[in-house]
Amino acid sequence: MTIPPSVIRVSNVSRWYGNVVAVNDVTFTLTGGVTGLLGPNGAGKTTILHLMAGLLRPSAGDVLVDGKPAAGDPDLYRKVGLIPEREAVHDYLTGFEFVRACARLHGLADADAATVRAIELVDMAGPMNRRIATYSKGMKQRIKVAGAMVHDPVVLLLDEPFNGMDPRQRLHMLEVLRDLGAQGRVIVISSHILEELNDLATNILVMVAGRLAASGHFREIRRLMTDRPHTFRIRSNDDRKLAAALLADRSVFGVELTGDGIMIRTGERGTLTRNIARTARDSKVRVTEIRPTDESLESVFAYLVAR
Amino acid sequence: MNGALMTVAWLTWRQLFARRRAWLAVAIVVLPFLLTFFYRFASEDREGDRLVFLMNLNRDLILGVLLPITAVIFGTTAFGGEVEDGTLIYLLVRPVPRWQVVLVKFAVAALVSAVIVAASVLLAWFALRNAELPPAFAKGFVTATLVGAVLYCGIFAYLGLVTRRGLVVGLIYTIVFENILARNLPGVKFLSVREYAISLAQWAGGDAVKWPAPGVPMTTVWVAGSIILAIALAATMRRLGRYEMAERL
Repeated sequence: MTIPPSVIRVSNVSRWYGNVVAVNDVTFTLTGGVTGLLGPNGAGKTTILHLMAGLLRPSAGDVLVDGKPAAGDPDLYRKVGLIPEREAVHDYLTGFEFVRACARLHGLADADAATVRAIELVDMAGPMNRRIATYSKGMKQRIKVAGAMVHDPVVLLLDEPFNGMDPRQRLHMLEVLRDLGAQGRVIVISSHILEELNDLATNILVMVAGRLAASGHFREIRRLMTDRPHTFRIRSNDDRKLAAALLADRSVFGVELTGDGIMIRTGERGTLTRNIARTARDSKVRVTEIRPTDESLESVFAYLVAR
Repeated sequence: MNGALMTVAWLTWRQLFARRRAWLAVAIVVLPFLLTFFYRFASEDREGDRLVFLMNLNRDLILGVLLPITAVIFGTTAFGGEVEDGTLIYLLVRPVPRWQVVLVKFAVAALVSAVIVAASVLLAWFALRNAELPPAFAKGFVTATLVGAVLYCGIFAYLGLVTRRGLVVGLIYTIVFENILARNLPGVKFLSVREYAISLAQWAGGDAVKWPAPGVPMTTVWVAGSIILAIALAATMRRLGRYEMAERL
């Protein structure tokens, strides 16, 4: 297996469906290793993966895999494996039959040996002769990975691969994908949970509303997400007194009395949550409620876009 | 055929007979055979009756209803099953040209439909065969079902790919176009697969199959049938060639 220095090149790519823009002017280049494609549902992650897999044509821009346009070239799939998000697999086949069919569709010389190897890789040798209809969601995910890996692709595109896996299966899959990335393959994993990509993806692309909102090392993206401004609603038996006391806290940069509590803004979430208890105790105020108001995934990603 | 195309054929075969469609196939094969028993018990079976009964059974039930229904079910499922359950993607991400996928899937659906309906023709003929009903009679109708299944499956494979309601659209086409318009409007029968099948039965069956009314000329059957099939297959290849897996927005 030879890995070219720059395997996937996405240049100014947009893709729209009628009036809906799914991907908007996205540019990035991927080489060997594991890349996480992070973003909330509907951010365009699946569209980007399908563009890279040649299953969609870009409305504008170019998607090149190994120097050639991804769409319209069946030979691309000798190098690329795709694990789609949708759970559906051929339910009437056994796991072994499904993976062997994938191997034969690739015209592999020894399809049976490749099938066994791929099934063992995802730890599915035990239930491989059961019909897929009887598999759990996690088992279906793993047999899909085996089907996509059976031809030993250079590029592996995985759409939300950890959905439905239990912690043990997830750990095993993390290990498998990390090993594949370490071999120099291009592994792209979409997810809407940053922590899911911890210890796996060194490079992260953050998609929000079809745009590439941020990209960089995992640690850098995590820092951006944790150090953003946070807003809390606090209720106590003396909101005015507590608000005055919190103004003195250096981690707080905004306090507002709302009538039914206090809204405070902070850039240091950890420091503030530690300080609130002490400030309340020193001011002899009893805190009855502390609630973060902007912890939805969308607001985290919206911050990255607005940054 | 190489290993990859054999696998496309095998997957199509498994898809066609998934979800109890095998039982449906058995029912289609057996129904005309069961009706021949009713005929034997209920009629006086005078000379010439058998020929008339089996001619009507073949024309109205087998060529008019069972053949298009079988082709609708198996033709639309060739692609429709995988479009519906989302497994088509596993075929598209393989190094197999999409036009070859179309040809193989169409061939399997046509072969399966043809064998099922031909078996129903043969069983019914076997149950009633006598001097009036020589093997040439069966040969005529078997030929009609084989060619009819090929033409219908070309049309219905396309329907299965372009709409998720291929089965319903196919049934409406069968009822409205083939069984109402083609029977009542003289010009339309020149585009009707059912009418082609009736002419084919007479052509292949020779003196054993006698229709009171003239059918579609055989030149029209071959030329128009080939054009319809070529258009249907080309449209399916074009459609699958441009098929895109869109994110559900």
